[in-house]
Amino acid sequence: MLDNGLKVEAVPFDSPGLIACWTVVRAGSRNEIEPGKSGFAHFFEHMMFRGTETYPPARYNATLKELGADHNAFTTDDYTAYHILAPASALETIMVLESDRFKNLNYSEEVFKKEAGAVLGEYNKNASNPFQALNETLRDAAFRTHTYKHTTIGFLKDVQDMPNQLAYSRQFFDRFYRPENCTLLVVGDVDAMKLDEMARRLYGDWKRGSYRAPIPAEPPQQGELRAEVDWPNPTQPYLYVGYHGPAFSDTGTDLPALDLVSQLLFSESAPLYQNLVVDEQEVDVLSGGAQDHIDPYMFEIAARVKKPERVAYVEAAITAALEDLQTTPIAADRLENVKSHMKYAFAMSLDTAGSVARNLAHYIAVANDTQAVNRVYASYDRLTPEDVRAAARKYFVTSGRTVVTLAHKPGGAGAGR
Amino acid sequence: MSRATSKPAKDGAVRTVLLPAPSSPLTAFRIQFGCGSIDDPAGKEGLNALTALTIGEGGTREMTYRELTDRLYPMAATIAPQFDRETTTFVGEAHRDHLKDYYGLLTGVLLRPRFDDGDFQRSRDLLLDGLTSGLRGNDDEGLGKAALGYLMYEGHPYRLPDIGTVQGLTAITLEDVKAHYLRCYTQGNAVLGVAGGYPEGLIESLKKDFAALPPGKPARAALPKPRAIQGLEVVLVEKPAPATAISIGFPIAVTRSDRDFYALLVANSYLGEHRTFNGRLMNKMRGDRGLNYGDYSYIENFVQDGGSALPLPNLARRQQFFSIWIRPVEHPNALFALRQAVRELQKLVDSGMSAPDFEATRRYVLNVSRLWTQDFSRRLGYRMDSDFYGIPSFIDRIQEELPRLKVEEVNAAVQRHLQGKNLAVAIVTPDAGAVKETLLSGRPTPITYQTPTTSAILLAEDKEIEAFPLPINRGRLAVVKAQNLFER
Repeated sequence: MLDNGLKVEAVPFDSPGLIACWTVVRAGSRNEIEPGKSGFAHFFEHMMFRGTETYPPARYNATLKELGADHNAFTTDDYTAYHILAPASALETIMVLESDRFKNLNYSEEVFKKEAGAVLGEYNKNASNPFQALNETLRDAAFRTHTYKHTTIGFLKDVQDMPNQLAYSRQFFDRFYRPENCTLLVVGDVDAMKLDEMARRLYGDWKRGSYRAPIPAEPPQQGELRAEVDWPNPTQPYLYVGYHGPAFSDTGTDLPALDLVSQLLFSESAPLYQNLVVDEQEVDVLSGGAQDHIDPYMFEIAARVKKPERVAYVEAAITAALEDLQTTPIAADRLENVKSHMKYAFAMSLDTAGSVARNLAHYIAVANDTQAVNRVYASYDRLTPEDVRAAARKYFVTSGRTVVTLAHKPGGAGAGR
Repeated sequence: MSRATSKPAKDGAVRTVLLPAPSSPLTAFRIQFGCGSIDDPAGKEGLNALTALTIGEGGTREMTYRELTDRLYPMAATIAPQFDRETTTFVGEAHRDHLKDYYGLLTGVLLRPRFDDGDFQRSRDLLLDGLTSGLRGNDDEGLGKAALGYLMYEGHPYRLPDIGTVQGLTAITLEDVKAHYLRCYTQGNAVLGVAGGYPEGLIESLKKDFAALPPGKPARAALPKPRAIQGLEVVLVEKPAPATAISIGFPIAVTRSDRDFYALLVANSYLGEHRTFNGRLMNKMRGDRGLNYGDYSYIENFVQDGGSALPLPNLARRQQFFSIWIRPVEHPNALFALRQAVRELQKLVDSGMSAPDFEATRRYVLNVSRLWTQDFSRRLGYRMDSDFYGIPSFIDRIQEELPRLKVEEVNAAVQRHLQGKNLAVAIVTPDAGAVKETLLSGRPTPITYQTPTTSAILLAEDKEIEAFPLPINRGRLAVVKAQNLFER
């Protein structure tokens, strides 16, 4: 770690001549605490490509183009990641570019407003998909005070108002784009000593910040909530359910146990999946799980039901399976199969420098520590049927449940409009 | 990493494409059959896709699909069917700890499919739902691309989506699926691709086991020359939509086999490299004007591989097309966006690339193409596609062709193969009547900025774009309701 708080990590990986260079900023839509500012972390990710005095956008892009680099960025609830895949020999050039924009980003009001149009375009490209509407509606209903109330892309009205938020954009950069909030991660054909030297030289004068976002805690939900989305286009109905769950932890058992539940109920070999999708054929899309989040989030379940009149049946079947987990212990061999699947799926996903970096960026975001991945997988190994039952009892309660249904209704507004 | 070997076995026997990497713990499989939606009989559109899905997500003679998934699950191994116009590929990967068991399941699925009625019905529902709820209902960009194919390939076997039509899928029986399997899943029609750390002996087993398929291969359907597009032929697909999705295209007589393809690869990267700010379309439409999320162009069929920006392998075709993908635009700016994209294409044709742009773009393509084959499975897929096109290796061919290209050759190739006058255009819009009227009127369609631009250069260019003449073919301006598209 540099004196200013920037973490620098080199992860050697067998990708001769190639590196994945990631900057992880521990700020995402979770950090959008002011009303009317939803979607800002993501918008800001766009602004990071709008240049500095030394490297205006055209020069920044031309430099990376010449390297044949594949580069982009994405934003989630908890973090924003900027990633570049390029020849290992280009690492210093990349670090010159990246340190410059993280320290010296500079854009005009006009450029800012134009980029807001691209963000609205991104909202629009997803808006014909029911999952955007379902997720938006579920969060809005299930959360009262926490910023997970909005999606990462933000509420449409806030996205539409983005052109008027120039001052806030500068404040956002000033608050969160600070070294103590970031990790520079390089995976692949990298020399840790050289990386460290270059990081000190190029990032050493980046000034530490002091802002801490006062993220409001979410009070316990007091009873089941329900919402409906009227969908303008013909579609099969969707059922989308959220149960309030725990925050990420690499020491506790709750979230790892829910990860096992995700497999036990919603993987292709799960009895619930096999019943609903394969044998009864009531449902053609079924998934469920608790994504890692810095603060407590939800265990989300999605089902696309073939016949509108069978939505209630499918909801009852899912609820019954969750209740069964609370009473009937999982057979030891099933648990072992799940653990085996998770272990191999993870190991097999680590097949390129980019995929290793993507996995590690996630743990940097939620735990501020790449080693968290080892602790999490060790905790899966230790989990017992009783841990699964205890987590199910704790979290799959009616009072913590929010149910959203989406069905075709001619003239329906969808969500957000 | 060893070099690839591919064996163009005697006619009628299985071919192999092998990429051994003994130190890898993973083995990737791509088992391909030379059949696709062009082999669908009239009235049974979707048969090839439904056959692939019934097999790939179904049981074997020895075990039900449920039993099969129970076996695959602890290995985290999968068998994923992928289908296109001319090829069908089963993609899978397994860890060395499970390779033997996985191999048994994979060959069971492909050589001894169960043809269970439940698997068949489930697969058909999935395709039907994908067509009605998915494509027609909830994926405006995908619908625009499919409608482009429908217009561009009228009278051609590439016309319909791979998943067929509603009536075609509904008419297919399990017996049809069995017959298609017997006809197309033959030794001479199979390419067995294997890459990674497989043991010696696996390939011999593979060849021996696949010899159980019927010998020979079905006759490959001849492809007619696609019809000539005349003027701007527009199909307006009407449905409720939050923004307007637009796709533009025309068939081109160039594939990876041809030298001109490599010249166009550079020119196209300059015009519209997928999901980058390298292309003019992206810079001028999104960057300068904030019209939408992205604007890209392609010189062959392109499907993005999952969440990456890389092209999905194993979608090779004997005939290709040029296309521009304009991501959804706010409705009032839709025709400005269309005009701007067509104008940029025309400018490329008229003025060509400058020498510095050519040099920078050539360097980019030379370097970035090395990133396309990072993992075994993708490398294998690319290698099999190279065989399809009759070239030793696509990536090597890029490294060979590009350094000897001259900017004049690129610009000449652009003039030979690209043009901006005869284009098929698909527009997904909630108000087809208004769009049609505006297109026919020929009147300017100015951009509406969220906040006005002040750049004199942009404002002057806006004036040119808003009145850029579109040679609308009035006799071929069609309106179709989304729910009627791909019905039969």
